[in-house]
Parts: sequence; C-alpha cells; structure tokens
Amino acid sequence: MKLSTKHLLGIKNLQKEDIETILLTAKQFKDVLQRPIKKVPSLRDVTIVNLFYENSTRTRISFELAEKRLSADTINFTVSGSSAAKGETLLDTVNNILSMKVDMVVMRHSASGAPHFLAKHIPAAIINAGDGVNEHPTQALLDAYSMTEKFGSLQGLNVALVGDIMHSRVALSNIYLLKKMGANVTVIGPPTLIPKYIKEAFDINVEYDIKKGLQWCDVANVLRIQLERQNQPLFSSLREYNMSYGVTKNLLESLGKEITIMHPGPINRGVELDSDVADGSQSIILNQVENGVAVRMACLYLLSDKG
Amino acid sequence: MQILLKKVLVKNITSSNNDAVVDLLINNGIIDIIDSNILADADYVIEESKLICSIGWVDIFSNFCSPGFEHRETLESGAAAAIAGGFTQVFVLPNTNPIISSQSQVNYIVEKSKELPIYIQAIGAISKKVEGVELAEMYEMNNAGAVAFTDGINAIQSASLFLKALQYVKSFDGIVIQMPIDAGFSKLGLMNEGIVSTQLGLPGIPVFAETLMVKRDIELLKYTQSKLHITGISTIESVNLIDDAKKQGLNITCSITPYHLLFCDEDLIEYDTNLKTNPPLRSKTEMLSLRQAVLDGKIDCIASHHLPHHIDDKICEFEYAKNGMMGLQTVYTSINTALPELSTEKLIDLLSNNARRIFNLPIPKIEVGAIAELTLFSREGTSTLTKENNKSKSVNSPLFDKLQKGKVIGVITKGKLLLN
Repeated sequence: MKLSTKHLLGIKNLQKEDIETILLTAKQFKDVLQRPIKKVPSLRDVTIVNLFYENSTRTRISFELAEKRLSADTINFTVSGSSAAKGETLLDTVNNILSMKVDMVVMRHSASGAPHFLAKHIPAAIINAGDGVNEHPTQALLDAYSMTEKFGSLQGLNVALVGDIMHSRVALSNIYLLKKMGANVTVIGPPTLIPKYIKEAFDINVEYDIKKGLQWCDVANVLRIQLERQNQPLFSSLREYNMSYGVTKNLLESLGKEITIMHPGPINRGVELDSDVADGSQSIILNQVENGVAVRMACLYLLSDKG
Repeated sequence: MQILLKKVLVKNITSSNNDAVVDLLINNGIIDIIDSNILADADYVIEESKLICSIGWVDIFSNFCSPGFEHRETLESGAAAAIAGGFTQVFVLPNTNPIISSQSQVNYIVEKSKELPIYIQAIGAISKKVEGVELAEMYEMNNAGAVAFTDGINAIQSASLFLKALQYVKSFDGIVIQMPIDAGFSKLGLMNEGIVSTQLGLPGIPVFAETLMVKRDIELLKYTQSKLHITGISTIESVNLIDDAKKQGLNITCSITPYHLLFCDEDLIEYDTNLKTNPPLRSKTEMLSLRQAVLDGKIDCIASHHLPHHIDDKICEFEYAKNGMMGLQTVYTSINTALPELSTEKLIDLLSNNARRIFNLPIPKIEVGAIAELTLFSREGTSTLTKENNKSKSVNSPLFDKLQKGKVIGVITKGKLLLN
C-alpha cells in the first residue's frame, strides 16, 4: 500500500483514499500493540530524526514509541541544547543531520509552513508533527481513528470543535479530515478565537452559543486554550472563559443527550474542560492517546519505502 | 557619440512627432534630426521591430540599500537593474544605514548619482532614524536635493507626527510619501486576512490595516492642505478613498506596485517567501479590481517597491522571511503581462509623465534640440528574468524563468546609449 504523497505535510494534501489507507494500517498496528511482544521489524534499517523546534510531550513520546515499535533507529533533536540556539538555520541543521544518512524527518515547528519549506529543499520524507497554527495531521488522524472506533464511520457524524480555533493546528487538520470523510463540522467558541473567514474557507458552521452547538453534535473535540500563542488579549480571564465556554458536567447534563468528549491534550483542567468531564464516562481522551501510537506507526510505515 | 534610431514609434503627447514612425538621430545626447528616413553613419544604429520610444521612465520607490547594506544592493547594481527595466531616474528610499535623514546623507546620494549612468534621487526620511518619533531635518535635506520625504517601508504610525510632517514640508512646497499600514495590525499578520490565510494557518493582515490609515491621512491632508503621495496601495477601497479625496480638490496622488497587479494571496499556497510582501498580496477580487482601477486612470504611478534581500532572509520559514521583493527590472514586463490592454499612452503616464509632474521633475520633449532622455521598448515579443541577465545583487523575485510580455530594448540618458 502506498500513499499518493511522499510527505505528510498536512491533511490538506491527502486524498480520501490516503486517509482510509492510514486508518486501516493503524488498525493492524493497534493489533500488534495488544500482543505480548509489541514490536515488529518493519523499519529496522530506517533511521528517523525527531526534530522538535517547539515543546512537546505526548506527540514526541508517541512518535518515539511508534518508531521504536517499528524497530527504527531514532535520534532526537530539541531546540534547547542544539545549534539552532546558536543561530543555525533550519535548512543547515537538517542538511547536517541528513548527511549522517537519516531517512525520515519528524518535525514540529512554531512557524506555519516550516515542513513545506523543508520539503522543497531536502530529499528525505517529512512528517509534520505540528507547524505553527497550520496543521497537526497525525493528531487529526488519531482523532479520526478514535471516532471511527467508537462510531464505525465518520460519514454523517456531527463533530464540534470547541474553544480556541484561531490558535489551533488540531482544529485545521480535523476540519480538513472530517470534511474529506463526509462528517459535518461546527466550530464553537468566542468570536475573538474564531478566524473571521473560517465558514467560507471550509464550508463549515460557526456557533457562538456553546449549549446550542453541543446539542447539535455527536462528538465534541475540546481544544486547549493556547495562551502561549496569543500575542494580544482575546478574552478577559480564564475564570470567565470557563464560565462562558468551559465544558462542564452541568452543561453536559443540560443537553438532554449524551455526547462523546475528546481533547488533544494537554488539558487546562478547569478552563476549557472540567476534571469530572475529562475523566468521566463520556470521555475517550485516553483512547486517543493510545491510538496515537498505532496511527503514527502507520504513517511512518507507509511513508517509508517499506509501505 | 551618434545614435540612430530607425523606424521608431514616438510616444510623447507634448511632441509634434507624437504617434509618428520616424528615424531619430541623437548627437552627443541631443536630439539632432527627426525625419522619415535618416541616412547617417552613426556609432550605434538601433533597428528593432515595433520599437517604441518615450521619455525616460521614473521609479519613485526603490531601496538601493546603500549605504549600509551593500551585500543586498549597491547604487551601481541598482542602477544597472533600473536600466534593464527601462528607467532613467530612480528615487531611492532612506531605509539605509545610516538612514538618509540629514543633509550630508542626501549629499552622498546626489554626489554618487553624478557618477552613475542614470539619475538617482534621494528621498529623505520624515523622522529621525525612521522611528516615527521626531521630525528629521527635512528643510535642509530639501535644500540638498531630496526629491520627497518618506519613512519608506515604515509607515508613520503617529497621527500627530504625520500632521507635523505634512505641515512642515509646506514651507518649501515639498511632498510626503506614505506607504499606509497600521503596524498594530500588520505586526500580528503574515499575509492578507482571508480565505487563503485561514486555509494556510497563517495569521492575516486585514484590509482595514491599510484603509484606516488612508482615511486618517486624508483627514490630516484636508487639515493641512499639503501634498501627499500614497504608495503601495493593495485594496480597491484605498483607491476609492483617494479618488474621492482628489475630487474634493486635495493634492493627493497614489501609486501601486506591479506585483499587486500580477499576484494575489492564492499564489501563496506553497508558502513562497518571495511573495511575502508588505502590504500583503490581497485576494484575487482585489487584484482584478486594482487592474481595473489602473485602466480607469485612478492610479497615478507604478512604483516598483524594489526591495532586495539577502538569500538567507528568503530561504527560510515563511514567518521568518523578510517582506518585499526586488523588481525594478521586471516592472514594465509585469504591467504589460497583467494589463496587455493598457494603452501605451497610459502606460507612459504611469511610468513617467505622472511621476515627473507629481515630483516636479523636468518633462523632456522628443523634439529636435531637446536633451535625449529616452526609454526604448516594445510591447511585443517576450522577456524572461534569468540568473544570467539579472542585474541586481539579490535574487528575491518570484519571476525568475517566467515568460513575460514585451521587452525593454534600452535607455538613452546622460549622452549614452545603454542597451539591454
């Protein structure tokens, strides 16, 4: 099985068939992860660099684990303790690493389009592990996998993305994926956190009333408030945000229906999501984390020339 | 030196030879003979199919990066790019190091211009260090020969300082140039705010970041009754605001870059840093409306906004790339490609006559006895900017290896024929 693309830069560049192939392959790798020996030799002669120009915990660990489960050799690069801190350009850094015969690059970067830039200049396959406020394709794929696991299909599913849409690469990748797979999408949040042209850009719904939006949906993917990416005041206080847009137990109980709760992590507990919701029976947040490894194994495998 | 132009179409509205296809003999920089057929043993004979001759073109907004940033451009390399683009006069920005904000800095440009094959005019800074805080010594710079005043790529953000600048230049009948963009909004964005920025995950710069400042500056112009030229406009709303202000009798004019007529935000889909500009490339609808505004005569000049950058400032992540592109060499071919229906008369107004009128430069005639300051070009044929024929020291252009309509044959100025 092959994907139509050499790199995984974003969901935007994938065909529907690519997404189906990745999800199907992830299913096989999830089966591997249930075995006593959770490892396959698929990428044993492949070397992968994890280039993290931005902080990450779960994504980096998830990728590293996926690489190890596939028997790949891995090297890790984080911006602190690297030559980037001394002013080396991204292209120089990557070319230096590639001269050491590295086959694939997994990259997280704070600038939107950074992996696209790299793809124009280096021969190795690139997997985008999050670029600025653009895309986070493996997160959208693991979200899709988790929703498919629960609902059987994405076709016709009503999915709400709740919260800081403006600063979320998870939102954009999810929108691209869900639209390609036939789901219905609504973004819910305060107007200051929703891009003005999002409705026209993706043909989706915008809802400022969280209760109305949640009543419509089957799944609410609650996004993290990205305080670190906000360079101007966009709401008055975290307390008021929780009161107006936080997903609380009371709010869920008032809906008159049961919806599934997702979150890409890390959670700001008591801000966008209350603890009793995050840890409650409607939440599939830990399934998302578990599925992340299988989905990333699938992406790595399919983009290596072993796929 | 004798130069003979054969079968050239003269485009010079004030000349009795306008629209005639004639031969021109130029003797030591002076137009000596204009006749239907000149037989002379000239040093140079130019005979080109569909050759057109106009008075020399003027670019009013170029950064030649000298002094201070000679690794990007020098006055010499900038002049060579200008010649290849058909220009005989170029106004250079004060955004250098040191900033052109004193008489001695203007003198530096004036003196260097004498050694160059074309005329380079200094635009003085409005504020000291182009920081938008204190007025620079514009009176002295005017005396030294500064052609206009601007903070160049830094729009003046303070309304009170801009008001003072408009008042100050009235004492010597000066003119202020502003590239309007509200930094409060532009610093938060990387491209035009719209559908494409949303799809690319890049923060946007709304159209009103420009129009708010255009409205503000028009109010200040009303109050001061001074002279204002707005450059680099990227939205039709600015054009309409300026057009209304003109109808109210204000002394306001405007210019547009070639790239706002040739590209739009949809071209950024691959994060091409060469298309990262300030003001940003707007939507396709805006681009088409701006083209119509040029055809309707609502735009006074084309300004190259030639901003050379070192390659490392463009071969990098989009967010970190510097704004602007070089473009003196491709101004005419870009306009000719974007607007092939534009009449040659209007084209020459946009590239020469209007700028000369607005900035009080001599408007030479193509008549016997006149000094020859000419641009030779053809609206037919094609041109391509290549690494080999690029005259700039920089390469930050999206137009490399792109076929464009028309060609510049060369210029005649300061007594010399400078061929492409």
